Amino acid sequence: MNRRAFLGRLGIAGGGAALASHLSRSRGIARTHEGTFELRAPESNPKRGGTLRYGVVSSPAHFDIHQSGTVANLGAQGPMYDNLIRRDPRDGQTIIPDLAYKWEISADRRTYTFHLRKGVTFHDGAELTADDVKATFARIIWPPKGVVIPRTPLFSAVSEVNVLNPYKIEFRLSEPRPSKFILGAIASGWNVIVRKKTLEENDYNLRQVANYPGTGPFRHVSRKKDEVWILEKNPHYWNKGLPYLDRIEVYHFLPFSPELGAALLAGKLDYARVLDTVTVKRARQTAGMSSATYYQSVIDAVWVNDQKKPFGDSRVRRAMHLVLDRYVLQDVVKDMAPYLVGGFVYPFSQSATLAEELAKRPGYQRDSTAATQEARRLMTDAGYAGGLRNVDFVVREGPSWKLWAVAIQAMLKEALNIETKLRTVQISAFFEETQAGNFDLSIGAVVSTLIDPSDYFNAWYGKDGPQNYSKWHNPVFQKVVHQIDRELDDAKRNALVRQAEAILEQDPPLLPVAWEQLSDGWYTYVKGHNPRNIFGIYDVVRWDTAWLDK
Amino acid sequence: MQKYLLRRLIVSLPALFGVSVIVFVVMRVLPGDPLVAMFGAEGFTRLGESDRARIMADLGLSDPLPVQYLRWMKDIATGGLGKSFFRGDKVSELILHRGPLSAEIGVLSVIISWIVGLPVGIVSASRPNSFADNVARSLSVLFLAIPGFWLGMLIVLASLFWFHYKSPLLVVYLWEDPWTNLQLVIGPAVVLGLGQGAYIARMTRSCLLEVIREDYVRTAQAKGLAEGLVVIRHALPNALLPVITVSGILMGFVLGGSVAVEQAFGVPGLGAALVTAVVERDIIVVQNLVLLYGVIFMGINILVDLSYAWLDPRLRFQ
Repeated sequence: MNRRAFLGRLGIAGGGAALASHLSRSRGIARTHEGTFELRAPESNPKRGGTLRYGVVSSPAHFDIHQSGTVANLGAQGPMYDNLIRRDPRDGQTIIPDLAYKWEISADRRTYTFHLRKGVTFHDGAELTADDVKATFARIIWPPKGVVIPRTPLFSAVSEVNVLNPYKIEFRLSEPRPSKFILGAIASGWNVIVRKKTLEENDYNLRQVANYPGTGPFRHVSRKKDEVWILEKNPHYWNKGLPYLDRIEVYHFLPFSPELGAALLAGKLDYARVLDTVTVKRARQTAGMSSATYYQSVIDAVWVNDQKKPFGDSRVRRAMHLVLDRYVLQDVVKDMAPYLVGGFVYPFSQSATLAEELAKRPGYQRDSTAATQEARRLMTDAGYAGGLRNVDFVVREGPSWKLWAVAIQAMLKEALNIETKLRTVQISAFFEETQAGNFDLSIGAVVSTLIDPSDYFNAWYGKDGPQNYSKWHNPVFQKVVHQIDRELDDAKRNALVRQAEAILEQDPPLLPVAWEQLSDGWYTYVKGHNPRNIFGIYDVVRWDTAWLDK
Repeated sequence: MQKYLLRRLIVSLPALFGVSVIVFVVMRVLPGDPLVAMFGAEGFTRLGESDRARIMADLGLSDPLPVQYLRWMKDIATGGLGKSFFRGDKVSELILHRGPLSAEIGVLSVIISWIVGLPVGIVSASRPNSFADNVARSLSVLFLAIPGFWLGMLIVLASLFWFHYKSPLLVVYLWEDPWTNLQLVIGPAVVLGLGQGAYIARMTRSCLLEVIREDYVRTAQAKGLAEGLVVIRHALPNALLPVITVSGILMGFVLGGSVAVEQAFGVPGLGAALVTAVVERDIIVVQNLVLLYGVIFMGINILVDLSYAWLDPRLRFQ
C-alpha cells in the first residue's frame, strides 16, 4: 500500500473517531444500538471450523499484557481478550465498538461516556461490568507500585474514571484533548479488559499469571514454553457468529528468522508474521501464497548524547544529521527488511511532510553534495573543522544496526572526519548503557503506541521523555508540543507539527536512520484478514474475522 | 574400580564448585539487565528507581551474593533448580522437557562420528598418500573448517527448497513417535557428527599409522594374515585408546556446538533454551544450564577414563 492509500485509510480512521457517536454513518460498519452491531468477515461466504497455524514471536518474558511492550505477548494472548473499543480488523484503522457498543463525547471534549454490552462473560463465566473496565483502566492510568505500564502517559489528561452504572462508564479529562488521540489510546491493542477480581487476587500484577480470563473470541487450552500456545473458540463469545476458526495454534518463532520463513514455505504454518525479505519474495512468487508489507510503529535512529561535549552543540548534531545518506542506508539492509526514508515524523502519517518535499530538503536529497557542504560549514562554525576523534558509538546487537553502524561510521569519517569506535552490546545492556548516558552515539530503535505526534513527540523528543536517550531539551520545541497536545483543530495541529518538525531539523534530538516496515506471509486459503493497512503489529491481533477457505 | 570411580567423583566436586562460582559471578557482573526482557524497551525506560528496586527484590537479586548463591545451592539440593525469572517456569521442568532431545542429538552425533570417522581413518591409514587417503583427508579438513550452524542452515534451506521439507515444529520424544522424533534430531546429529567424524578420522589415521609400524603388527603380517585382519584385529584396538579420549572431549564440544546447531535447525532443545535465556538475561536458567553442561562434561570424562581401564588391561592392574 502506498502512502496516499494509507493516508486515505487514516482519514477514514480519523473520521471514524470524530464521528464516534454516529458510527452508523461510517460505511455501515456499526450501529449505535446495543445488539445490532455485529462484526463479520469482509467476505460474503465465510466458512466455519478448522485450525489456524500461526507463526509469530510468542514466548513472552511475562504474561501481563498491560505491562508488556512486545508482540511476544499480544501474538498469542491477543485473541483471548477484548477492548472497550477497537481498530476494525478489516481495514486496520477505523475505530469501531467492542465491549462498548456506543460512546458519547461531551461538547467540551472533557467527558467520554461508554455504554457496555450486557451479558458479556469472561472465560471463567463471570459477567463483565463497568467495575472491570474501571479496574483495568485505573491500573493502566495510575499503576500501583512495582507495576510499569508503557501506555500510562497516553492518559495523562484523564483525571477520573467513574462507574455510572454497571454498564456505563465515563472518563473525565482535566483538559480537552483531540478525540482521535483519546479514542486511539483506548483502542490500542494493549489496553485489553481484564477482570477486577483477577487483578485483586494477584495484587494487581499479572506478570506470572499465564492464563487469566478475558472476554475474547478464543480461550486458553495449553502452552508449551517457546513452542506453541493453543487456543480454542470461545463458544459464548458475545459477537454472535464469531469467531469462525475452531482453534489457533500459535507457534513461537523469532521475527525475521529463517526458521519462521522455512516453516511457512514448507506448509507447516498457515500464516506467519514479521518475515524476512527472502521468504516474502518467495511467497509472492509461489502460487497459493500471498504477502503484505505494512508500516510498523518504529523509528531506527542514532542518538547523540546531548550531555557530552561537543554533542550538546546543535551545529554538530545537525552536521551529522545532514551527512547521513539515507538512501544508501536503506539499500544496505534491503535484503533483511523493507525500510522507509523519513525525518522526525512518521513519513506515512497525515502529519508528515510529503515525500517529494522531503526529498528536496538537505539531509534527504539523493545528491548529498549541498548537504555535505552545509555540514562542513557547521562543523567549522562550531570549531571542529578538523573533525572528532575517539567517538564512542554504541551499537545495539542486531543485523540491521550492525550494518548501519559500519555505514554511518564511514559516512561520518568521509564527510566530517569524525572517527568513531563501534561498541556492540546485547539488547539487555543497550538500554542500560543508553539510559545511563554511557555513549557518544548510540544506534537502535524505539517504538510508539500511536501514530499521533502527541504520543511520540513527548516520548522520543520531549524533556524527560522515556525514550529521549539523548537527554535533548529544546524549550521552544517543548512549548510547541504542549500546544500540539491540546490543539483540537486538525489543520492548526498540523501547522504546529510542521513548526515542531522545523525545530527538530535544525536542532536534531537524534539522527533518523529509517522507519520500519514489516511483512506477513500466508496461504491464500486464510481469509478474513487484511494486514495491509495496519499501523504496527499491536492493534489488530484477535483473528476473530479470520476463516479458512478449505 | 569402585574406589577409582569414587575418587574421580570426589575430584570432580571442586571443579563443579568452581564452575558454579564462575557462572554465578559472571552472570551477575556482566553488563545487561533482565528487566529489559521483562518490560520491553518501552517499559524498561519508564521504570522508576523504587519500581526497579522492588522488582529486583522480588526476583531475589537484591540479596547479597553469598545469600543468592546459597539459595541456588538449596534449589539444586531440592531438585527444583529454581524458577525462570520471567514466567515462573521451573528450570527442572525445562530440562526434563528439552533435555532428552539434546541428549539424543549428542549420542546420535557420536555414533555418526564413529560410523563415518573410523572407516575413513582406517582406509586412510591402510593406504597412506593414496587417492583415497587424499580424498579422505581433504574431506576431513573441509568438515573441520565448516561451522556447524552454517552447514545446518544450508541443509535446512536445501531440504526446504528442493524437497519442500521442514522438520517438525514441536518436541516429540523417541518413545512417543520415533519417526517424527528422528526427523527432529537427525539434522543436528548429522551436522555435529560429521564435524566430529572428521576429528575421529584424522586421529584414527595418525594412531593407526603409528601402531602399524609396531613389531607385533609386522609379526602378524609376516605370519601371512590378511591385511584387513591385521588392521582390524591387531592394530585397531591399540590405536583406539586416543580416539576414545578425543571422542570424549568432542562430546563436550558437541554440547557447546549444539547450542548454535539446534538454533539453525530450529530444534527446541536445551541449546536453544540456553540461547533464549542468555538473550533474556534469565540468570537462573543460564546458571543451571551451564552447570548442567559442566556436570555432563565431567561425567563423560569419567566414562572415558573407565572405558580406558576396560579396554586396556594394563591400566586395570595399575
